[in-house]
Amino acid sequence: MKITRRRFGQLSGLAAGSALLPGALRAAASADIKLEIAPYTLEASPRHHIRTVAYNGQVPGPLLRMRQGQQQSVEIQNHSSEPEVVHWHGLFLPPEIDGAMEEGTPMIAPGASVRYTLTPDPAGFRWFHTHTFAGKDMTRAQYGGQHGFLLIEPRDNPGHYDQEAFLALHDWSGHFAGSDDGFMNPIYDISTINGKMLGFGEPVRVKQGERVLMHVLNSSPTEVHWIALAGHRFQVVALDGNPVAQPQTVAILRLAPAERVSAIVEMNNPGAWVLGEVRKHVQAAGMGMVIEYAGAVGKPIWTQPESLVWNYRQFAAPGVAKPAGEDVVRIELVFDSKFQGHGNEELWLINGKSYPHTDEPVLKAGQRYRLVLKNQSMDDHPLHLHRHTFQVRKIEDVDGLEGLRKDVVLVPAKSTAEVEFVADHPGRTLFHCHQQDHMDRGFMMVFRYA
Amino acid sequence: MHNSLKWPQGLSCRLSLLILAACLVLVAQVARAQGNYEIQVYGADTAPPKSLMVELHSNYTVSGQRQTIDGVYPTYHQEHETLELTQGVNNWAEVGFYVFTSEQDGHGVQWVGDHIRPRVRAPDSWHLPVGLSLSTEIGYQRAVYSPDTWTWEIRPIVDKTMGRWYLAFNPALERTLHGPDVNQGLGFAPGAKVGYDFTKKINAGLEYYADYGRLGSPDPLRQQQQQIFAVTDLNVSPKWEINIGIGLGPTAATDHLIVKGILGRRFDWGKKSAVD
Repeated sequence: MKITRRRFGQLSGLAAGSALLPGALRAAASADIKLEIAPYTLEASPRHHIRTVAYNGQVPGPLLRMRQGQQQSVEIQNHSSEPEVVHWHGLFLPPEIDGAMEEGTPMIAPGASVRYTLTPDPAGFRWFHTHTFAGKDMTRAQYGGQHGFLLIEPRDNPGHYDQEAFLALHDWSGHFAGSDDGFMNPIYDISTINGKMLGFGEPVRVKQGERVLMHVLNSSPTEVHWIALAGHRFQVVALDGNPVAQPQTVAILRLAPAERVSAIVEMNNPGAWVLGEVRKHVQAAGMGMVIEYAGAVGKPIWTQPESLVWNYRQFAAPGVAKPAGEDVVRIELVFDSKFQGHGNEELWLINGKSYPHTDEPVLKAGQRYRLVLKNQSMDDHPLHLHRHTFQVRKIEDVDGLEGLRKDVVLVPAKSTAEVEFVADHPGRTLFHCHQQDHMDRGFMMVFRYA
Repeated sequence: MHNSLKWPQGLSCRLSLLILAACLVLVAQVARAQGNYEIQVYGADTAPPKSLMVELHSNYTVSGQRQTIDGVYPTYHQEHETLELTQGVNNWAEVGFYVFTSEQDGHGVQWVGDHIRPRVRAPDSWHLPVGLSLSTEIGYQRAVYSPDTWTWEIRPIVDKTMGRWYLAFNPALERTLHGPDVNQGLGFAPGAKVGYDFTKKINAGLEYYADYGRLGSPDPLRQQQQQIFAVTDLNVSPKWEINIGIGLGPTAATDHLIVKGILGRRFDWGKKSAVD
């Protein structure tokens, strides 16, 4: 079910009114989902404590499971010192509750709470996270601990499995430093999986012969991550929660910020193994965890891959590439940066303008659009469209791709990608680079419906 | 690399000369001859590991000392070519090595001396608000170019990039180990730089070099060395370093006009895979 603006107004009224209800009555109307935003000290290892803000006193936040189409009441309390908002990443929600101020979602003031009802759609592996401004404060917004898994139970599972494992990749304690590209870029001291550095979290315990469905989320504010599991391979069944047209078995997963990969791992190699970042310096900063077979003894083993291999195309439908139809309206978006001094980050531009001065293209409901994403900058960009799923039609110089449905796509530097979507969720729709520092420096724009 | 001050070394080679009273009316006391073999304010960064920075410092004294004083060749129209090799050790340390040469009418091309310069910096994980580094340099130079043949220097380095501005300060201390100034104690020879990014590739600004004499007991102004350079750094590539400048020395003990240039190229060696 979609929530109309009128319905949202009614729900908002109820939410405001609920504050006046007697305690017993309020308890009786307890929300299905309750998120409490509050300061939290994460122990990434006994020697690494990170002061952050988290959901329900844990990092990642609680694993939320919902049934597609089944309404959920949500209550969010903000006990932090900053205005907050929760974005439901990958869902088709009205802009009033999607969780982006730029779309019109109200911010939750410190000490305040909101309550609303949402209808989970589409099915698949989604997530929720803060959607605020950080600027140069690398403890705020996505640099902190406000992220969590959301699984909208599909009507059909993407594969048969015996157990699920949810893994969130994150980077912490960042600071800006000069780099070879001539700009200030974030670098991080600590990297974790599910809030723990390698060797300090609970292992994922498996049995020989099991099929484990791993839901991997890159919640890093800015970093692309490469993941391998020593002694095993991943059968990728879904990208960004959407089943792929052609499942493939790969040795390494690549996840740009905000991307998700769901992959089945057949546990057919008993022992204790390291699942971790392939790049040595990132694993050394802590990004890894142990996968432990029942009865396994000895030190977990890591096998170092020697190259980084990944492409989106392998998951597209096989067969002849199809050209874009004539009924598709093309919208060309050119991304570039403006030099602000070697001691600054770049200012990001979409078609020569930086948010909030970017254009607001008008969409017609029901129309199919093709976004031509021309990345003229020196950086790769994970581009995210709110409230819609798009199809990747052209990337890595291959056009006419079918069956790659995503909500984030990494567009390499100096390249062009093309994605298509149907404008079928009216309301303001945010489009942006998911790198926190790029968002903060203008890499955003809003589509609005006619 | 966005600033060409990053693999520095400054041979503020402190020479103490007995001025020949008959020749010089300006100074009848000890004065310090100038090095001017490598004119650079250091930035706090160090060369990355598995890389070698090769720099050529070319300095020409347009207007300088015309007399041979106490056996030391005049600086006037001397062309100094200095080869600097800097090897990154890890992500917070490097070692530099120098070969100093001089070319001049009547003397030809001459080897002047060699120095070695280890340097460490505060690691990024310290999250300091400024770049901080400490360099030390020891070396030999021939007596015909510097009466003090063995010298040692310790150079703290502080720098900061703020938007388009770049600031660096090097309050260096120098000590003669062998030569006439061996009993002079520590000399104070600071350097400073301010630069502005006019574009992504062009930075321009001023560099200041001085040798005030003994720490705590500075020389009179006329015996101090002070130079100010108008400089530009061209950030054409992370692998290249280009710095060009022209400097004026207003005090009697300073060469009055010098043109300098630094051309550097970084070579990455060793097999570097994508997973490193």
